[in-house]
Amino acid sequence: MHRRGVGAGAIAKKKLAEAKYKERGTVLAEDQIIQMSKQLETFKTHLEEFASKHKQEIRKNSQFRVQFQEMCATIGVDPLASGKGFWSEMLGVGDFYYELGVQIIEVCLALKHRNGGLITLDELHQRVLKGRGKFAQDVSQDDLVRAIKKLKAMGNGFGMIPVGGSYLVQSVPAELNMDHTVVLQLAEVKHIMRSEVRWEPEHLLKEGLAWLDTQAYGDPQYWLPALFSELSARDITPDEASQMVP
Amino acid sequence: MNFEWPWQYNFPPFFTLQPNVDTRQKQLAAWCSLVLSYCRHRRIYTLDVMEAQESPMFNHKKIERKLSVEAIQIVFEELRKKGNLEWIDKSKTRCLIMWRQPEEWGKLIYQWVSRNGMINSVFTLYELSNGEDTENEEFHGLEECMLLRSLQALQVESKAEIITMDEGKGVKFF
Repeated sequence: MHRRGVGAGAIAKKKLAEAKYKERGTVLAEDQIIQMSKQLETFKTHLEEFASKHKQEIRKNSQFRVQFQEMCATIGVDPLASGKGFWSEMLGVGDFYYELGVQIIEVCLALKHRNGGLITLDELHQRVLKGRGKFAQDVSQDDLVRAIKKLKAMGNGFGMIPVGGSYLVQSVPAELNMDHTVVLQLAEVKHIMRSEVRWEPEHLLKEGLAWLDTQAYGDPQYWLPALFSELSARDITPDEASQMVP
Repeated sequence: MNFEWPWQYNFPPFFTLQPNVDTRQKQLAAWCSLVLSYCRHRRIYTLDVMEAQESPMFNHKKIERKLSVEAIQIVFEELRKKGNLEWIDKSKTRCLIMWRQPEEWGKLIYQWVSRNGMINSVFTLYELSNGEDTENEEFHGLEECMLLRSLQALQVESKAEIITMDEGKGVKFF
């Protein structure tokens, strides 16, 4: 009687079939890998081209930077996530914000004696631009906000208080309680009238954030150097000069 | 050339003596600096307290703020403590503003005298401060009070002797 299927030959055949499948699997994977490698190579080249083509752009053009950041956000990439990341190394974006952060700290420290550690985003922007000189890269307020967020995350005592559509940048962790924050949001004008809001300005005086003015009409007023935009010295006008002639 | 006012000059509370001690310290330092630079710029050597109140230095008409007499006295006291001010009279109504020290003025005067080979000559005070020969010198136009203080400084160093003459005071250099 003949029995088919199981025999040395069948086993050998099976083994061969298995081997062939395995081989094909390997071959398939290899194929895919080769394909992917090729694609990655192309991708890498494209990326390098992109990087070199736009590196200048990214460093020079603040609007481009915003768009670039937004693009990164949609694909789940944070170019500022780590200083040594692929993106920050490729494009030098990390360096840019790191340097900007240092500049911001310098400006805030230099003015702290005058404004108690509170400065408008506008003034910070002006001074940062001034400090960078005529030929340096353009810096937008968006850039400043990002850099400050980075500083905040690193625990540098930085904070931002929304005021009238913009921000006040706080570089000293002073105890500004809720009341004052609310008042600052309400204060679109440069000085705060004591009679307008029920709050205690003594705290602001104590922190060196406000100065007392007793020569205004009516009640004493409190002025915050941080909100006072004419802080830079200027030449006196011809009118004023004529008043000064003895 | 226009005088460059510091930012505080346009800041209304700058003209109110600050209650907060730290802020007041900064305020007084800024006032001292302003007074000295303004006086240097305008070549002002003496100040009368009452008149000073109306000077643009302490009275900023444009922003309707002025430093009170009491505050001016406090600023003057600060300047005195720093060695930049000397009272001329006991009742403290008039003072010397020394944006340059008498010793420095003395040095400048002596240098001019020796450069021109005039050691041992006698000068009237007027000749020194208003003479044709000193027109190009920094001490030209120096007010008498200040000039005297400067010559006194030289006298202490035995480099000069102040003498009284018919028409007033004079000085001899050694």
